[in-house]
Amino acid sequence: MRSWKNNLLAVPILLWIGVLVGIPMLLVVAISFLSRDHLGNIVYQFTLDNYRKAFDPIYLRVFWNSLRLALLTALITLVVGYPVAYITSNLSPRRRALALGLVMLPFWISSLLRTYGWMILLGNAGLINNLLKALGIIQQPLPMMYKFGTSLVGTAYMLLPFMIVAVFNSVDKLDRSLLEASYDLGASRWQTFFQITIPLTLPGIVGGFTLVFIPALGLYFVSDLLGGGNTVFLGNLIHTLATRGRNRPLAAAFSLGMVALALLVLLFYWRVTKDKSGEGLFQ
Amino acid sequence: MKQPLLALVNLNKYYGDVHVLKDITFTINEGEFLTLLGPSGCGKTTLLRCIAGLERIQSGDILLSGTSIKDLAPNKRNVNTVFQNYALFPHLNVYDNIAYGPRMKKSLGEAALKQRVAEVLELVQMSGYEQRMPHQLSGGQRQRIAIARALINEPAILLLDEPLGALDLKLRKHMQTELSRLQRKTGTTFVYVTHDQEEALNMSDRIVVIDQGEVQQLGTPREIYNNPANLFVTSFIGDRNIFPVEVVEAGSQYCRVRLGENVVTVRRSCSAQGALRAGEEAILAILMDKMRLSCEAVENAFKGEVLSIHYAGSQIRIEVKVLDQVLTIVEYQKTDCDCAVGDTVYAAWEESGAILLPKEAGWEERGW
Repeated sequence: MRSWKNNLLAVPILLWIGVLVGIPMLLVVAISFLSRDHLGNIVYQFTLDNYRKAFDPIYLRVFWNSLRLALLTALITLVVGYPVAYITSNLSPRRRALALGLVMLPFWISSLLRTYGWMILLGNAGLINNLLKALGIIQQPLPMMYKFGTSLVGTAYMLLPFMIVAVFNSVDKLDRSLLEASYDLGASRWQTFFQITIPLTLPGIVGGFTLVFIPALGLYFVSDLLGGGNTVFLGNLIHTLATRGRNRPLAAAFSLGMVALALLVLLFYWRVTKDKSGEGLFQ
Repeated sequence: MKQPLLALVNLNKYYGDVHVLKDITFTINEGEFLTLLGPSGCGKTTLLRCIAGLERIQSGDILLSGTSIKDLAPNKRNVNTVFQNYALFPHLNVYDNIAYGPRMKKSLGEAALKQRVAEVLELVQMSGYEQRMPHQLSGGQRQRIAIARALINEPAILLLDEPLGALDLKLRKHMQTELSRLQRKTGTTFVYVTHDQEEALNMSDRIVVIDQGEVQQLGTPREIYNNPANLFVTSFIGDRNIFPVEVVEAGSQYCRVRLGENVVTVRRSCSAQGALRAGEEAILAILMDKMRLSCEAVENAFKGEVLSIHYAGSQIRIEVKVLDQVLTIVEYQKTDCDCAVGDTVYAAWEESGAILLPKEAGWEERGW
């Protein structure tokens, strides 16, 4: 009886997800098996050509670029975000609220604008180069734009708050008396960190990794603006194919390849967080 | 004279402006079971954490076997703590929890370690539980594992922070016996923190009574129970009737005191704190279960009126009104005097059960 009522309450959200996520997703799947004419219109004719093209060695590179970008982004945000989250959780309640507010503050500004901010900072006539030149440290501007690293920095910057919040939730729950017990038993700070803190905050680490990795696979405007298209990523490729390239069936096939990658990461997340005491991020 | 194992010398600790430990000075002997006893917030746990190194002290010193350890990190001190909530590592099984200390210090090879773990598990009667995870254990079992995890390091001192606080009454009684047994068997010095006077009296060789960050009295359970040094200890330990009386005659061992028309002789406190002078008020404290009722006038008794009688199984609690004071008398056998509510009775006591203490400023306000 009760569960029946609970299920009823879930109907609106299921409808919401079904209409706004499920149907478009099914459309993508359908289109990926269709052909197009020379004007880019969908032709209702079944084909596996799109998949054959998508897994062409030339395009595999694109998959690799995206995978590399997403992995490195997750790694960088982890290395930067973990200490931030750890220190934040040790603050007094007022300062902690302030710190978390500051972490969230960038979301108030359009991410496109913030990306332009990076261009102003890193460009040949940008803030950093001008400053270094004024100080006489360099004569020629350092080329910092339009590289793989530029896209990486921008993407990591964009997704850092997700990592911080995910890790914070885990670190905040960590019982500090366990750390004291560890010191008391003769462990050093580093030993305690690796033996106690890391294993017990693993759900947050893996959760943050997932939350950063998946969007990093698809973010295309950051690498468009900062990378200048010098490295082709999945997101850019799909965007280009679906718009200027007038090849929506191929774009759909790539999209599903990306979804497959994301699902792999989710599978990994579920495997890691399923056992233990169920301290998962999504619970 | 034998050197004490641990010496606390004029130890002071502040949290901001709050002075939580005031000039704590006492020593702990090798192999003894010493209890820090006091109400919650008195500073006893803080003192324990200072010894463990989890809190820093602002002044004074802590000497372990004559060497100062006050600036050593907790992992460099040869003391171990059993935490109030046990603090077992939830991601490690019993074996790995117990092996944690030796592994971090790399003090034992895996083979020797395996044997030591088996030994301490045997000691706490938990053999065969190596593979269990902490969440699969009961409170009492976790307790034993926490003790084993500390003892495997062979600490000079084992610090126990209210380890029985979370257990139910029956298990607590059992673990009291168990802890005493462990302490005798290992010969380890125990410093035990509790707010439970019964626990303290039951297990300790010596008790340090602490209140408001100060040592109130240090002595054997018997000394502290029978000869409390001041009003705090008097009220905190043992169930007593505590009330003001007027000193008629002050002697070196006994005093004559008056309450209304009753003039009685009582033993005076042997502590030198404060003076007892004729004509001034003093505080008389009498253990409830050392009092006797009689129907006829007897020497050294207060005349009063029976207010109420409560039968509580093996004991009978009788409330007697003497002037404006209500005294509670606990009798275990049938009383000699078959009194009823409203009867006039005489309340006497065993000599050792009563003690006269000087009045302390503001004692009424503290609600004793």
